[in-house]
Amino acid sequence: MKPEITVVVAQGPSHDPTKRTREQEIADRLSGRGDWEVLVVPHLNDLRPDAASLAALRQRTGHLIVFSWLYPRAAHWILDRHRISGQRGTTRLQLDTDGKPSDEMPSDPQQEPVERVIDIRTVPTRAIYCIDLRACTSADAVLQEVERILTETGKSASRSSVAASEGNGSRPWRSITDDTQRRWYPVIDFARCTNCMECIDFCLFGVYGLDESDTILVEQPDNCRKGCPACSRVCPENAIIFPQHKSPAIAGASSSIDGLKVDLSQLFGKPEPDQHAKQIAQQERDQQLAASANQSSSSSSTVPPSQDAPRRDTSDDTSDDLDKLINALDQFDL
Amino acid sequence: MSDSLVFMMGQFEATFPTDRQYARNHMWARQQDPAYRFGFSAYAVRLLQDVYFLDWIVDPGTPLQPRQEIGSIESKKAEASLYAPIAGRLSAFNPELLDDPSAINVDTYGIGWLFEIQSPIPDLPEGDAMSGLMSAQQYIAYLDEVWVATQRTIKGQLA
Ligand code: SF4
Ligand code: SF4
Repeated sequence: MKPEITVVVAQGPSHDPTKRTREQEIADRLSGRGDWEVLVVPHLNDLRPDAASLAALRQRTGHLIVFSWLYPRAAHWILDRHRISGQRGTTRLQLDTDGKPSDEMPSDPQQEPVERVIDIRTVPTRAIYCIDLRACTSADAVLQEVERILTETGKSASRSSVAASEGNGSRPWRSITDDTQRRWYPVIDFARCTNCMECIDFCLFGVYGLDESDTILVEQPDNCRKGCPACSRVCPENAIIFPQHKSPAIAGASSSIDGLKVDLSQLFGKPEPDQHAKQIAQQERDQQLAASANQSSSSSSTVPPSQDAPRRDTSDDTSDDLDKLINALDQFDL
Repeated sequence: MSDSLVFMMGQFEATFPTDRQYARNHMWARQQDPAYRFGFSAYAVRLLQDVYFLDWIVDPGTPLQPRQEIGSIESKKAEASLYAPIAGRLSAFNPELLDDPSAINVDTYGIGWLFEIQSPIPDLPEGDAMSGLMSAQQYIAYLDEVWVATQRTIKGQLA
């Protein structure tokens, strides 16, 4: 039986040369193996519903392995929103070092008495493995993981066919381009969402709506006020993801893992966090409303988010010079 | 560029031309009638290092509150949101930086400028913290104050 597996490498939005190199390396390394095809597509977050890349992915009904510069939860639910759905596969390539996938959806329904949207929805049986490119520090490990997934999904071609196709470059990767612009919008994690409607009541910009079966959906993503992740604080299930938000928790990180880069926002004028989440959220929303009423200008934002917990301050020795400090960043760098 | 003052960030000499003013959020400001042009100070650039990506979330013409979020930046070492240094009306973004922000690293006080703000109140009374602009001298005194805290912030995030 012909294995139907598509490996997708979604590029990042930025000019970071280390990211570009990593995307290339992984696409090259996984190409020409015969057991799967490799597609390179633009940044998933920025694709519009009519994007050629999404059309191509919708045609692939087999298992998907999707590499992107997004948290796996964010990538999964962005695809889901574009009608590319499947069971969430668990990858071993995780940012967390403890090796345990802490962002799994609730696995035991006994322990989860609440009904989630996902429980009442039919999801195709094929698996979608979303892998964070930030966790892909070695192309070898990536290849190994793809082979492991091949076995796990039970569609594995025999080792011999893998070996046979090796090195002949018979199937180079294919790249699909779309005109993309930066986009900003919420994505709902339906494995968490309970359809409680808090978000639709809260948002004053008509971003949320209901589908035919009265289930919440992000109806007008582009109405969302850029820089206002207010409703993500209001959702009692933490089901609302803003894939492009700088704070890992809001961008779909599993647990409270720290971002890999230093956040210098306070240096550039970010106000101190001194309010409770809900107050901040309301304030943000109201100021967004005022801003949109006061101006015809379409994409303005008024208020800095101040969601972060106060900075941990673990240092007691401040005599180190900056070079040492900045060099220490390197080990966290990509 | 005429004179400049130096602030030592560890071994690194950060220089600040005296022909312009500085904001507390580590941007320089230079009056170009009728607007103020802003860019990152050498202090900010040293902490950011290579800038990879710059994104603005307001449009030219937008009225700004001081500290209003206006965009974000990604660099080799850091990510940050960016905030308005003063109140006023945003009049222009440096178009050259949108495709390739590397001019910030190459020439932060010149072609690496970020945006221009038309301020209704150029000379605010002192004490109006974020809105006031400082001389290079005052800025260095300010860096003296915040340098230790900045190092702590970075370390705190690394721990
Ligand atoms: S607030 Fe959260 S849980 Fe409630 S409907 Fe919205 S996304 Fe779902
Ligand atoms: S972030 Fe603000 S504008 Fe966007 S959906 Fe949430 S409440 Fe609405």
